[in-house]
Amino acid sequence: MAYFAKSPWVIHYDASSCNGCDIEVLAALCPGFDAERFGVINTGNPKHADIFLVTGSVNEQNISVVKEIYEQMLEPKVVVACGICACSGGIFHDCYNVIGGVDQAIPVDVYAPGCAVRPEAIIDAVVEAVGILEEKRAAMKNGKEA
Amino acid sequence: MALIGFLILFPLLVAGVLLLVGNETARRVIVCSSAVIIGFGSVWLVLANLGTPWVGIEFSSGAIDIVCTLIGLVIAAVILCFGVKYKNVLACVLAVVQVVGSLVFDVFVAHGIEVQYGLYLDSLTLVTTFIIGVVGSGICIYALGYMEDFQAHEPADAKDRRPKFFALMFLFLSAMYVIVFSNNLLWMFTGWEITTVCSFLLIGYTKTPEAINNAFRQIIMNLAGGIGFLVALFAIALTMDTLSLVEFIAVGVMAPALVALPAVALAFAGITKAAQMPFHTWLLGAMVAPTPTSALLHSSTMVKAGVFLLIKLSPIFLVCPVAAVMTILVGGLTFLLCSFMAISQTNAKRVLAYSTIANLGLIVACAGVGTPEAVWAATFLVLFHAVAKSLLFLCVGTAEHHIGSRDIEDMDLMFERMPRLARFMMAGIMIMFVAPFGMLIAKWGTLVSFADTGNVALILILGFGSAATFLFWAKWLGKLSGIAAHPLNVETTVHRSEWIALMVMAVLSMLCCVGLPVLSTFLVEPYIFDVFGVCSQGVSQANLWVAALLSAVVFVVLFGGLGSKQVKQVPVYLAGVSENNANRTFRNSLSGETMATSRNWYMEGVFGEPKITPVGVWATSIIIVVGFCAAIATLCGLL
Amino acid sequence: MYLIPIIVGTIAFAVLAPVVGCLLAGLDRKLSARMQGRVGPPILQPYYDVRKLLEKDRAAVNNVEGTYITCALVFAILAGGIFFGGGNLLLSVFVLTLSSLFFILAAYCTRSPYSEVGAAREALQIMAEEPMSLFIAVAFFLATGSFDSCAAFGLEIPAIGATWIAFLGFLFILTIKMRKSPFDLSYSHHAHQELVKGVTTEMSGRTLAKVEVMHWCENVLALGWIGLFFVWGNPVSLVVAVVAALAAFFLEILIDNNFARVKWQLMLKSAWAVALVAGGINIAVLMYL
Repeated sequence: MAYFAKSPWVIHYDASSCNGCDIEVLAALCPGFDAERFGVINTGNPKHADIFLVTGSVNEQNISVVKEIYEQMLEPKVVVACGICACSGGIFHDCYNVIGGVDQAIPVDVYAPGCAVRPEAIIDAVVEAVGILEEKRAAMKNGKEA
Repeated sequence: MALIGFLILFPLLVAGVLLLVGNETARRVIVCSSAVIIGFGSVWLVLANLGTPWVGIEFSSGAIDIVCTLIGLVIAAVILCFGVKYKNVLACVLAVVQVVGSLVFDVFVAHGIEVQYGLYLDSLTLVTTFIIGVVGSGICIYALGYMEDFQAHEPADAKDRRPKFFALMFLFLSAMYVIVFSNNLLWMFTGWEITTVCSFLLIGYTKTPEAINNAFRQIIMNLAGGIGFLVALFAIALTMDTLSLVEFIAVGVMAPALVALPAVALAFAGITKAAQMPFHTWLLGAMVAPTPTSALLHSSTMVKAGVFLLIKLSPIFLVCPVAAVMTILVGGLTFLLCSFMAISQTNAKRVLAYSTIANLGLIVACAGVGTPEAVWAATFLVLFHAVAKSLLFLCVGTAEHHIGSRDIEDMDLMFERMPRLARFMMAGIMIMFVAPFGMLIAKWGTLVSFADTGNVALILILGFGSAATFLFWAKWLGKLSGIAAHPLNVETTVHRSEWIALMVMAVLSMLCCVGLPVLSTFLVEPYIFDVFGVCSQGVSQANLWVAALLSAVVFVVLFGGLGSKQVKQVPVYLAGVSENNANRTFRNSLSGETMATSRNWYMEGVFGEPKITPVGVWATSIIIVVGFCAAIATLCGLL
Repeated sequence: MYLIPIIVGTIAFAVLAPVVGCLLAGLDRKLSARMQGRVGPPILQPYYDVRKLLEKDRAAVNNVEGTYITCALVFAILAGGIFFGGGNLLLSVFVLTLSSLFFILAAYCTRSPYSEVGAAREALQIMAEEPMSLFIAVAFFLATGSFDSCAAFGLEIPAIGATWIAFLGFLFILTIKMRKSPFDLSYSHHAHQELVKGVTTEMSGRTLAKVEVMHWCENVLALGWIGLFFVWGNPVSLVVAVVAALAAFFLEILIDNNFARVKWQLMLKSAWAVALVAGGINIAVLMYL
């Protein structure tokens, strides 16, 4: 059964965002959009989370943090880059310290561009992510059986 | 009943031999073999007399009375000698008072009184015999290895005083046997005083100023208790013309007013011996002694003599309100306040000491209540406390020699540093405070008996005291169970004799927990039936079986299943970048390395000693003074 | 013969309590959402969560954490079985404490800073609520003459009549037992807190699923306690008991949504004060009047 689709728990990490996208991530979880309708919970703990929402670009300071959070999440897991900075570095892409989008540090599954990214776009991305989560679970299961 | 005589005299003989033997190997052989003999002797006595009612043994001898007087003189001489040497006036004065009092008593009062049944045997005696014989001699074996390490930690030119140490340990056992087998109160008193002076010498063993100081505190408090005992002897002999414990109790049950004073005085003696507030400080001070001493004093002997006497007196407490109220209040308050203070302690031995005092308080309160259910609970508390607490003391002693500290915070990661020891310790701790293990089942019986007798204050005390007990044991248990950093296993160098003793204690504690219903039927209930004529226990047999079954399950998990399952291991969450996750270090805001550490809670602002001790000391002192006044008033009213 | 009802009760509890507890947890989330002006997740959401957790990869920070949690779950179910099997109330309280101890140990053994702080607070919470749990059992004993929960069925009038003061005290500590705000010190379902997830920080996948099921069982048991005081020798009383339990549950959700977390000092002092006053007065009244 598709339990991952019904219970996507997220963790949000602000890499080096200007806070614009962070506000929108929280807005998506707030009563106005009520993401909990779909079972979304903001866990704040990588060991509990299934979906990793990253805002902002990756730089020399935080790349190891992003990597560690990702590594501490248990399989199956999905990464969503929220906002254009997380997707590609955005307007900061050629700053001296910026490495680039989140995909420079960890594999990203869903890109949700925008400056700032709209809550609708985030929810859309999470729905997309849930599908990938299910695929990964199926792959994991098959891998185990094989 | 040659076996009883053997149990009293054999340790005495061994003590004498050990005093003369300086050779390490010879001592090893003697201690081990005689401990085994004493242990088997005790077990044999218990098994041969299982379920026995009160059996008096016709035995009286003027010679022994004279020996008792002589022993009294020797004891006084020893105390005076040390008192003069270390210029402790109070100890000298008390010793003189006591020796003069007992001489007067022996010559003028006790002279014409003959006790037909000098020795006796009943099921409570069997329980205590078992504890002394098995736990006590187990501790003696443990002491072999421990004292070797202890001597190694001493300066090289220090005199090896171990012969004296082991002689005292065995003398102690002999004195304890005298206390539990004597129906003649005069003999019992002699045993009582021997234990006092032995523990004085054992506490002062290291001869540091602190040890000497604490030893004198112990002797002063226990001499005061001894004088209380003497007052009781005078009162009993003068008003009842007997010195037989069983006759005294029988008369007491008939004429409560007549025995008010001796009952209060004996209760006072028991309270000092059992280290109840305001006399609890001697037991805390006794922690400076080598660990086997602490284990011997706190689990199997010394303090158990105090509660043994009180439990014996419980039929009197049931009908004599003056003595009962004093005993209940002192015991109850001690249980509550010492449980609180245990929360604030980081030193493992002090936690054990406070927990000992608290549990003895509960036993004292139960004895004071005096109903069959309460005595049932008290007997189990004595038994489980003895086995589990000695296990814990021995574990702490071994841990101290191998991790170099007795601080609970330093016992971090014991689960991997000393895996076997940590599991023993965890079992011991669990037995002390959580169901379905013995101590808590006994507490359960206590609660039921308090509810039955309509004792609101005691129910409240028990509720809050038990809650505090949970916290201080649970956090210690938590510290032990931590797993991180793959530390080196340091328990490979533990002496074999220590392992043997630890193993004996651990197996014994677990067997007691699992065999709870059987123990109840064959060991404790016969005593209840014998004394009260009814068979009554606070916890039904079916519930005891449930508890026994659950205990077995937990032990299997603890020693069998724990850690055997292999799982994929992942690092812990440190909310940032780990530097060395196994050691719990992370990169801090200055790109440096910080270790994530956490200490347990000690809540000194709420449960600290300076806040609670004065309250307890004042309250219990007032209660005791009022108790004595009321007893004297009762006696005067009668006359 | 006493054991048979307990065994039957345990089996029944093991099957039914997770179902009921799961539905209650779903109801809790739905009601909370409505109180906050949201739609909220489906009633079966907790079930989906647990099923998902079971499918996650299996990994732990050490080899023993899972064993401790299994013990905690088993003993929680047993405590429920003893209670609903008509067994001894004190035994049920004690076995539940044992379960909590294993839960605490599971957190301590990880030696993760957040878990450890959570475990310490959890131990403190148990210390805060335990006196009242004992006193309510004693009050029940004084009112009915027995510590067995089945004694309630032999009553003419429900036990609440004689024990309402202690019952109010129990309602107070029920918030601690159910780990609701303002007493959710050790961990809570609400996101973003200083403790990450407190006790459960290091638990994941299957282990976390067991913890969830354990909480369901604990909640059912806690509500069973509420119901016990509304039962008397009439089958209709069972309906009354269920209604009372549900009312108490609603009250807890209401409190959860209206209070901020307090500091431990306030929790300990208030819980003990309530236990002393409510428990003490009620027991004294039952004994002496």
